[in-house]
Amino acid sequence: MTAGVIDFLQLTVAGLSAGSAYGLVAVGFVTIHSVTGIINLAQGEFAMVAAFVAIALLAAGLPLPIAGLLAVLVVALGAAVVERVAIAPAAGSSVVAYIMLTLGVSITLKASVLLIEGPQSKALPAFTGGILSFGGVLVRPQDLWILAATLVAALGLYAFLERTVTGKAFRACAEQPTAARLVGVSPARMSTLSFVLAGTVGAVAGVVSSPVIQTDWNIGLFLGLKGFVAASLGGLASIPAAIAGGLLLGVVESLGAFYVSSGLRDAIAFFVLIVVLVARPGGVFGRTQAAARV
Amino acid sequence: MNDAAETADALAEDSSGGGMRMTTGGAAQRRRLLRDSAGLAVLIAGVVAFPLLASPQLVFVAVFAGVFALAALGLSLLLGLAGQISLGQAGFLAIGAYTSAILTTRYEQNALLASVVAVAVTMVAAAAVGTPILRLRGHYLALATLGFGIIVAVVANQWDFTGGQSGIFGIRKVEFNGRLYDSPREQFWLVWSVVVGALILARNLASGRVGRALGAVNDSEVAAETLGVDTFRLRVQVFVLSAGLAAIAGSCYAHLVGVVNAQAASFLLSVELLLMAVVGGLASVWGAIVGAIFVRGLSEALTTYIPRVIPGASGEYQLIGFGIVLVLAVIYLPGGFVSAGARLARLPGARRRPRTTVPDGGGEGPTAAGDEAAGDTSPLLPREGRPAPGTAVLVVRGLELHFGGVRAVQSVDLEVRTGEIVGLIGPNGAGKTTLFNVVSGVLPPTAGTVEVGGARVEGRRPHAVAAARAARTFQNLEIFSSMTVVGNVAVGRHLRSRAGVVAGALALPARAEEHAIDAEARRLVELLGLGDVADSPAADLPFGRQRLVEIARALATEPDLLLLDEPMAGLSAFERAALARLLRRLRAGGMAILLVEHDIEAVMALADRVAVLDDGHRIAYGAPSEVSDDPAVIEAYLGADAEQTTLGGPA
Amino acid sequence: MTQAAPRLTVEGLSAGYGRIEVLHGLGLAVAPGELLAVVGANGAGKTTLLRVISGLLPARAGRVLLDGRAVTGMAAEKLASAGLAHVPENRLVFPGMSVADNLSLGAYARRRGSGEAVERDRRFVLDLFPRLADRLAQPAGTLSGGEQQMLAIGRGLMAGPKLLLLDEPSLGLAPKLVSEIFAVLGRLRDQGDLGIVLVEQNARAALRIADRAIVLDRGQVLLQGTPKALLDDSRVQAAYLGRGYTEVAR
Repeated sequence: MTAGVIDFLQLTVAGLSAGSAYGLVAVGFVTIHSVTGIINLAQGEFAMVAAFVAIALLAAGLPLPIAGLLAVLVVALGAAVVERVAIAPAAGSSVVAYIMLTLGVSITLKASVLLIEGPQSKALPAFTGGILSFGGVLVRPQDLWILAATLVAALGLYAFLERTVTGKAFRACAEQPTAARLVGVSPARMSTLSFVLAGTVGAVAGVVSSPVIQTDWNIGLFLGLKGFVAASLGGLASIPAAIAGGLLLGVVESLGAFYVSSGLRDAIAFFVLIVVLVARPGGVFGRTQAAARV
Repeated sequence: MNDAAETADALAEDSSGGGMRMTTGGAAQRRRLLRDSAGLAVLIAGVVAFPLLASPQLVFVAVFAGVFALAALGLSLLLGLAGQISLGQAGFLAIGAYTSAILTTRYEQNALLASVVAVAVTMVAAAAVGTPILRLRGHYLALATLGFGIIVAVVANQWDFTGGQSGIFGIRKVEFNGRLYDSPREQFWLVWSVVVGALILARNLASGRVGRALGAVNDSEVAAETLGVDTFRLRVQVFVLSAGLAAIAGSCYAHLVGVVNAQAASFLLSVELLLMAVVGGLASVWGAIVGAIFVRGLSEALTTYIPRVIPGASGEYQLIGFGIVLVLAVIYLPGGFVSAGARLARLPGARRRPRTTVPDGGGEGPTAAGDEAAGDTSPLLPREGRPAPGTAVLVVRGLELHFGGVRAVQSVDLEVRTGEIVGLIGPNGAGKTTLFNVVSGVLPPTAGTVEVGGARVEGRRPHAVAAARAARTFQNLEIFSSMTVVGNVAVGRHLRSRAGVVAGALALPARAEEHAIDAEARRLVELLGLGDVADSPAADLPFGRQRLVEIARALATEPDLLLLDEPMAGLSAFERAALARLLRRLRAGGMAILLVEHDIEAVMALADRVAVLDDGHRIAYGAPSEVSDDPAVIEAYLGADAEQTTLGGPA
Repeated sequence: MTQAAPRLTVEGLSAGYGRIEVLHGLGLAVAPGELLAVVGANGAGKTTLLRVISGLLPARAGRVLLDGRAVTGMAAEKLASAGLAHVPENRLVFPGMSVADNLSLGAYARRRGSGEAVERDRRFVLDLFPRLADRLAQPAGTLSGGEQQMLAIGRGLMAGPKLLLLDEPSLGLAPKLVSEIFAVLGRLRDQGDLGIVLVEQNARAALRIADRAIVLDRGQVLLQGTPKALLDDSRVQAAYLGRGYTEVAR
């Protein structure tokens, strides 16, 4: 293989790894939006907080796998608390009010981490060391961990939604809330559940990607926004499309940063966002709905 | 209390050159403007006196409160008036700041000229950004604006022209005739006089034609559009105006501080501006001012006290207070400080406005019905320039509308001529309202043509159809619930009046027009027999009378074609008779009327011709007597009762 | 099961949206095994009545009793396990889910109860609507309007209700399907002690299968009685059908 091809493949792998994290964050957006109609701007903070919790637990002497799992659990429960404390009391508010509420939660979480942990970035150690080479293409083992964790989290969520009674009730609530109430599904509980699910996938993303991306207090903004870009690529409605959107965005960003300009890396994602939103409101993978006129 | 307010009003007019005499309107509006003027007088007195009394440090803090109040005011207009959120307001502030910085440092321009150019450049940028992204709604718009802000920050950080990461230094301070104006006191007066000016412009805008139209859009976008309000265009205009205010703030900031870097575009600043607008309250232009003072004060307090509690704290930890306050404000103080203050002021004593409780069917019905003798058919509301009697004003050909697999309307032809009432009947779900939606531009047809007044309108937006002189009412009522009855009807005058964003903000030329709008609206309100509730909130009326409000509103657009969707529903027998007389008189005046109605008796009595829809098809069309004998109609209409063909005998 | 308490009692019920009151002190009762038809013009408050009974909309005054037990103000999701099933206007099936999933969600409120009873009801529903049995794996959104209505009724029955509320089951359906669905409603009426409230625009069809009927007019009960008595009453034709109807028919 020529150096150019190797570069390309290596960038693609790095992009897929970063994109997996975006994809998981995107799944969180879809989960909450489908049931509550809310875009949770604190979605990226779930990932950021989980990474810091894992780092703190590791520092406290727990083994890495336990620290990671505990961090996911803590954030999942924390997400439920967020929903009960900040979202549920405003039930029935306007879209704009919810934007501001989740924005408030996001800012509070990141400033709390800033106060506790300070402004420096930290990272979990890579789950396994060394470096792998596939025909000259070097791959960090952590990239494989990230891809594997994404696959497991997504399949787990899929199985929950498709196979369990509660999962079906959750989907019912997303599809037809009034009818769901009439068969006995509590929208309030499903709303809390949606935050728990979103917190879980977000936390997984935060923990597995921490060794690669260096977590700091402000990273939730970018993770969250890129997750939203990924979710929008999928039309904000489908979990597989959200993951695909995340992977696509990760690769575009990785290639763009190398071939165009690394300084503009973050702008690329948002440029894509604006173009996608304006050109295809239904998402690239989503069905194009006739733009609602009313 | 009233006396004091009037005195204050007089004061305010003196000090601002008399350019803010209130426009007419209901008593409520008059009171509001009076209160506003009193508030302005207090504000101006405060602006004059504050720097003379406060410590220089406090004045310095207040200077920045004023700067950010400008940007927050823009955001408040965008959110409160146009109902659109932006999380990228700092991006526009930065464009203004950088433009000012570049002009004074590289091109040696003075601060004043630089500021003016900066505002112009920013507004052009806002128009370019806003035109595509304002097609988005809610979350999508929020995130698109956020993305815009981040792009500005990233570009500012990366571009050599903007000084890269170190930004631009040595920006000129404000100077006239070689004298620098840079003491805190002078800066304060400079900034806050701009704030007061911006506040007056914003207030004028909010209380005039544009404000009314945007208020209507917030209550019911579809109704506002069908009355001729081009909602998209207005949104872009307010967005541009809002960016202009952010640019003034950015420019002030650049000239005050002398340095600008990418921090000016930071997301966190956008959040701070949003917090100011929200905490202050979006219902009033005052909110942004109150909010800016509060948030800057909070920020100062937090940066002072947090390090005392947590010694190692560094960075922008004051954000924690912003986040918590934002959540608390949305949950517990949805109207912000301004409306909380207003509620508090109202607490002692009884409510000022007694709730109007009009019993169902308590109205007299349209008074223009003329003589009680049903025979009065004297022409009503004729219009010069209306097409000659018998001209087809509405021509529908081969209309199709499919929703996915459902064919809601199938190859329907229809004509309505001037001076004619056409009844459109059919069982529930037959497609009558859908047909209305297509004709009025609310839904684009799948195929077929719609002509209104000779112009092809199929697929055009509702405001364009309204401009072709078609007006409609809604079966499920799309009343502007935040407005009075007269206010609702005044929105109908939108197309027949002209004051735009600029004229509205300057108020002067728009004043006479507001008088005329109010007078015409009141005339129509009387005509529909709603005079007793003219200044009541339209939402307090029973459904039946709300329908009459919608008719008055539609008539206010001076239409040639009136589309009425079940206007009789919920009216008493007396009101129905009065409305029927009104419709006959409108017909005599040359109006073309398409009437969807469940009350078959009314349709048969009123209509010149009747079209029957069933399952999306037109199954009959002709004179009422022909249609009522048509077996297909009887079967469709009486329901699926295979064994019964007439209603005569019991089952 | 006591004979004394009606399945459903509604007393002095007022409700509305925003500042507008739609129902003004309305009362009615449904006995076990009885089918009550509620007819009236558009905007009379029929759908609002059902929404208040099933807890989707709060009552402003008055009481709702289910088997003699006050359930006023209970949330819809709680009422589902109290033996009430509401088949809403426009069907509201779960479009992306299979017919089988739609039916099993109907029994969601019974998920801690006996699986046998649920299975029995499932067979009963599929026997009532054989068309659904052929389409169990199909997404509900791809069914025809009539089939969706059958599914919505079936989903309601899967809750094993004591009281069934039906909102305009004939809306937008072809005549043949309407007869089919109304035949099933007739079967349900004769089935046992299920109380049924049937809100219908198609008064003729509703009155043919009802045991008793009320006519709503602007949020109040204008008339009540046997279907035959109501059909003969000129006030019914005025309030609901519009007097013109008789002219049309002749």
